[in-house]
Amino acid sequence: MMLLPCPNCGARNVSEFRYVGEAKTRPDPTTVTPQEWRRHLYLHRNPAGWTRETWYHGSGCRRYFAIERNTVDNAVRTAGATS
Amino acid sequence: MTRRTAGTGDCRLGSRPGEVIDRSRTLEFRWNGAVHRAHPGDTIASALAAAGVRVFSRSYKYHRPRGLLTADILDPGCLLQVGDEPNVRGAHRLAEAGMDVRSQNTWPSLRYDVKAVNQVAGRFLATGFYYKTFIKPERLWPAYERVLRRFVHAGEVPPDGEQLYYDKRYAHPDVLVAGGGPAGMAAAVAAARAGATVMLVEQEHQLGGHLRWGDADELRVRAELVAAVEAEPGIEVLTDSVVAARYDDNWLAVVQRGLPHVAERLVKARAGTLVVAAGLIERPYVFAGNDLPGVMLSTAVRRLLNLYSVRPGQRAVVVTANPEGDAAATDLRAAGVDVVEVDARHGRTVVRAAGRGGVEAVELSDGSRLDADLLVTATGWTAPTSLLNMSGSNPVYRPDAARFVPDPAATPDTVIAVGGIAGDGTLEELVAHAEAAGREAAARALSLAAAHARIRPTSPGGADAAERAPEPVAPLGLRRHPELFFATPIGGFVDMSEDVSAKDILTAVQEGYDSSELVKRYTTATMGPAQGKLETVNTVALVAHATGSTIAETGATTWRPMYTPVTLGALAGRRFEPVRHSPMQPWHEAHRAAPLVAGQWIRPEHYGDPAAEVRNVRAGVGIIDVTPIGKLDLQGPDVPKLLNLLYVNKWSQLGVGRVRYGVMCADDGVVLDDGVTGRLGEHHYLMSTTSSGAGTVWEWAENWLQTEHPDWRVHITPVTTAFASINVAGPRSRELLARLTDVDLANEAFGYMNVRTGTIAGVADCVLWRIGFTGELSYELHVPASYGLHVWESLMAAGADLGVAPFGVEAQRILRLEKGHLIVGQDTDGLTKAYSAGLAWAVKLDKPDFVGKPELQWQSEHDDHPRLVGLQPLDPTVVPEEASQIISDGGHIVGRITSSRMSPTLGRSICLGQVDAHLADAGTRLTVRLRDGRDTLVEVMAEHAHFDPEGERQRV
Amino acid sequence: MSRKEHDDGAGRSRRRPRYSAWSLVRHGLGVGRDWERAFRHHTPRESYDVVIVGGGVHGLATAHYLAVNHGITNVAVLEKSYIGSGGSGRNTAILRSNYLTPEGVRFYDRSVKLYEHLAADLNFNVMFSQRGHMTLAHNDSSLRTMHWRAEVNKLQGVDSSVIDPPEIKKLVPYLDVSPSTRYPILGALYHPPGGIIRHDAVVWGYARSADAHGVHIHQKTEVVGIDVVANRVTGVRTADGRRISAPVVVNCTAGWSTLISDMAGVAMPVQTFPLQAAVTEPVRPFLDTVVVSGTLHTYVSQTDRGELVFGASVDPFASYSTRGSLDFVEGLAGHVLELMPALSKMRLLRQWAGLCDMTPDYSPIMGLTPVEGFYVDVGWGTYGFKAGPVSGEAMAACIANGKPPEIIAAFGLDRFDEGRLVGEKGAAAVGH
Repeated sequence: MMLLPCPNCGARNVSEFRYVGEAKTRPDPTTVTPQEWRRHLYLHRNPAGWTRETWYHGSGCRRYFAIERNTVDNAVRTAGATS
Repeated sequence: MTRRTAGTGDCRLGSRPGEVIDRSRTLEFRWNGAVHRAHPGDTIASALAAAGVRVFSRSYKYHRPRGLLTADILDPGCLLQVGDEPNVRGAHRLAEAGMDVRSQNTWPSLRYDVKAVNQVAGRFLATGFYYKTFIKPERLWPAYERVLRRFVHAGEVPPDGEQLYYDKRYAHPDVLVAGGGPAGMAAAVAAARAGATVMLVEQEHQLGGHLRWGDADELRVRAELVAAVEAEPGIEVLTDSVVAARYDDNWLAVVQRGLPHVAERLVKARAGTLVVAAGLIERPYVFAGNDLPGVMLSTAVRRLLNLYSVRPGQRAVVVTANPEGDAAATDLRAAGVDVVEVDARHGRTVVRAAGRGGVEAVELSDGSRLDADLLVTATGWTAPTSLLNMSGSNPVYRPDAARFVPDPAATPDTVIAVGGIAGDGTLEELVAHAEAAGREAAARALSLAAAHARIRPTSPGGADAAERAPEPVAPLGLRRHPELFFATPIGGFVDMSEDVSAKDILTAVQEGYDSSELVKRYTTATMGPAQGKLETVNTVALVAHATGSTIAETGATTWRPMYTPVTLGALAGRRFEPVRHSPMQPWHEAHRAAPLVAGQWIRPEHYGDPAAEVRNVRAGVGIIDVTPIGKLDLQGPDVPKLLNLLYVNKWSQLGVGRVRYGVMCADDGVVLDDGVTGRLGEHHYLMSTTSSGAGTVWEWAENWLQTEHPDWRVHITPVTTAFASINVAGPRSRELLARLTDVDLANEAFGYMNVRTGTIAGVADCVLWRIGFTGELSYELHVPASYGLHVWESLMAAGADLGVAPFGVEAQRILRLEKGHLIVGQDTDGLTKAYSAGLAWAVKLDKPDFVGKPELQWQSEHDDHPRLVGLQPLDPTVVPEEASQIISDGGHIVGRITSSRMSPTLGRSICLGQVDAHLADAGTRLTVRLRDGRDTLVEVMAEHAHFDPEGERQRV
Repeated sequence: MSRKEHDDGAGRSRRRPRYSAWSLVRHGLGVGRDWERAFRHHTPRESYDVVIVGGGVHGLATAHYLAVNHGITNVAVLEKSYIGSGGSGRNTAILRSNYLTPEGVRFYDRSVKLYEHLAADLNFNVMFSQRGHMTLAHNDSSLRTMHWRAEVNKLQGVDSSVIDPPEIKKLVPYLDVSPSTRYPILGALYHPPGGIIRHDAVVWGYARSADAHGVHIHQKTEVVGIDVVANRVTGVRTADGRRISAPVVVNCTAGWSTLISDMAGVAMPVQTFPLQAAVTEPVRPFLDTVVVSGTLHTYVSQTDRGELVFGASVDPFASYSTRGSLDFVEGLAGHVLELMPALSKMRLLRQWAGLCDMTPDYSPIMGLTPVEGFYVDVGWGTYGFKAGPVSGEAMAACIANGKPPEIIAAFGLDRFDEGRLVGEKGAAAVGH
């Protein structure tokens, strides 16, 4: 079971967290077209490799935070790190 | 040679230096009904072997007699039923007094098993035969299938077996060593001396590995190492325990046995470094007759002789290609067995073993034939690399050493292999390598701990050890070993537990299943209880031979958890499933409330007569326990911004003391939750949610605050369980409540959709809402939880003369249905957007932004979505079951009944349902297909509410 | 015996010896030729009429139906590992058609009907055991959903009904139906035509048939690029440096389907999640029905070899790792023992995982894409194996006719842009 580096609590078992999803930028709902909005809702990058994503520490500090994870082998690093 | 015997048998030798049995005591157990004796320390198999038992089981497909092959936990011939426990490893499980041991799936007896007829039919039952037949006639397949299932070779699970106690534990050793042979012990000691906490896990009942059955020098080294281990306080030793699997970041599943009163304990260990000291497993040789009882590996023979003092035969042929095989020959001679050695290093091997029910003669590759009752092979070793494989590293084949070895380049830094699995050398060299590895393992673990401490910014003191890069450990060499996998002409079995023959492998390749994986799946080779440890390399060698490739090219199949099979009991442990009760639960139970499972909560469904409860609320006053309702306390100047964002309606103008109903949608416009929110003070609000949404809405709100609007000043505190909640409902509710509270309840002072705080029954800091889910004058009280029961009982006492009675969830469902109030998740589903739920009035599209607005905007412009409507059956006595489908003339489904009850207030049936847009106009007649297949007509109503649609009664 | 044989002409089918009990006897007596290869090796041609990416049940079924129903045989199936190595070899082999929406029921029922005759159609025993499938309900809302499914099923002519605890106990004596469990069983959706099948055999049966009709199956052939010129597909490139031209390329992969579609420049609303499963050692058969519990997220069946096969829901976070977790088997064991406490001494032998492509509406994505000639049969989540035959049949028709047949009309990629999601998520049950 992976360890996730929570910025508040340190390295904790992944079972303490809830996966929220790929980090996405919410388009401006007042100017977006229906198609663009639905693409924002439904499309994912789904890479086989490093991705930036949001997790929630539900069994801990209850913070939402971003990390980077390699979806192929579940290696993780803090967001913004290069290794 | 099954015999009923007295004493511990004619095959028991005199005392030997390394034996693990206690001759001063004996115990009795039963084997297939007959009484046998054993000494403490005997396994079931060694006790039976001492008594001269040679046949322990019948094989899966052909029901051939099988004896001991490896005499250890992997032995495929020795899976036995012990009491109500199936598939017990008879050559590993210690014999205990009173055990009832039986062979599996033999009928009528082990000796005269009727299904042995399969041997005769064997040539027609080649691998994959069932894919080629039983195809037609199709209707007979179920009958064929029943016959196939009869032949399952396995133990039994009775429906009412004894329930044992299993539990779990966590551990955080810096270094976990898997394997307690010489390398494992040396690594553990070195790691402990370097300052690491160590857990040492050994599968056998004693530490020592292969040293246990070694010569005098090996026994001495063993004793020294064991003493060194015991002298280290930082080493925790687990024997008869196994590291079953390795997961990400060295999360290890260790199954511990041998604890008093605990059948098995699952130790979940987060280790800094994993040292794999799993040793080497001796590999069987594939030749015709290799499954006859009396064919054994050299390690099996040495175990029987030196651990259990059992003589495995009288006349032995030893086919040896390595020093361990030579040592077996020496040990046999010393025990008085006639031995003929066949040196397989120079091309001479066995090609066939012959005999009825056991080995009687051995044919060699030079054409000679020897009489023997014991055939010993020592033709090579297999590295059990599963744990390394589970770490993401695939082993590499070395033809010079005739085995797969770990690939250090592919192994993570936190995993180190030592001992035979990693390479070869003298005992001194292996120990020295293990010591160096143990020191390095400790250093890496401590460095990792320091790195973790660095992640956490508030950690006090930091780590004692410094972080450092891993340093390589000088690798071991590899000893040359001839490649001996199968004899020619090709014959015999490659997988004993699955009854897969060498010829089956060739046939599979010939038929096109010509990669390791396809062969495995087609023949089922390597899919038995040993999980390939004895079978994989020989299978790969045969596939390589058949395809004209090399073993390295052919490759092995992927090793997957578990390393050794683990019981469901150990994986489950003690089962903890939290249950949530309100503080009034004891009162409900005492008053015979029918319990309703609502998520984690247990709630009162009714108290005997829900229709009467409904009538009492409409006529007088009733109280209901609604504690599970989600409650969030919101404070801060920016709360209205949050409410405007999350709800589809407007919140900027909500005055202090006012309450509003709100609907939340997700970003795709689907209804997420609903509830009321009231303003208690200038910057203080209380939000309610559905009970199943309590946690979700809180996390939802926090997500928006933390990730999109961290600048908003809002603090949320979940108070669902801080308050007990009671709804007092009915025309006499004001009268009742006035007797207990200091709050002015007059309609002018405290109107509909308002909130007040005050004292109830002497309890301060209560919140009172005036809202109306039931449609009657009602007050929802939120009382500090520890006083909930007191307030409930006070209401019951104070309202006795008013006829106050409790009502449950069922009565509430009826009351709200009479008023047409929807339940999110019942009248809506995972695709229902706000307009489909009849919530158009709530959606304020002129707000600049709120969650769900884009989709709702477009939904409002397209009129073709399904609608939630009120429905009444034309026959008022017919109550359509919920989920009944509404069908058109053509039999197409155009909707469904989502809520349905008989209304005690109206004396007729009432419903809510989803229908296609073009059928949603008031007055439309629709057909409902009832559960019993009859159809009934319903009419679409103008309103959702069937009773008091103007909502007069709740505003009095 | 050499691995590589030369092909025997463009798309020509050879006379394929039939499997039968008589042929077994002949081989056993040593009479006649050795068994022929079920599927051959060929040198890949430079071009094909159709290239199918993915050698699982969907890709192979599509190839089979292209040949058998439409006479299109100049087809290549490109599989990056061995056939059936992906989801087809990792699923828990449960077949059923007791879905929630009328379109879903029609679709999966067509598949069950094809499965019922598949052994005879392919002359390969796929061992479909229609022993009954039961979905347990542990609370009111779940029971209501079971009724919903039963009613929809009945209206479509599919045999499903809701049964009560005593009837459940008769079918599965080992189930604990007492009211004292933590989540008492209130009822179940019982679906007699559901059951289990030998999943590898389905792959091999379709492969053997496609091969006999002249389809080329290229294993260990990974597609690394798809060529698109003027919004039209022209061919693929493989890892060994080969270029194969084709006017039609079909994405029949699972787990890596977005990576393949990305090569063609088509974005998909799919996220990949591992789905774990596990199997025990064999014991004497005692379980005749497939048992599923939505609330406990657990399902169990017993194979003809006596092993219990378990599964649950997808992992909680997206990943391409199939290594599996301890959490999964712990939770699974706990739930299994809650349902059937007598099983505590059974041993788990092996756990594994496959990759599932999850879509927003728990329904697949099939048919045309904005790139001409590039078709997709993806987004199969946790329900792909049971749909193999009907998908192959429908995709073959789609390719042959250039437009999707009615049975898959609701599953087009364009539904997401238009906000027309399918309703299988409506019940939010565990999707097996």
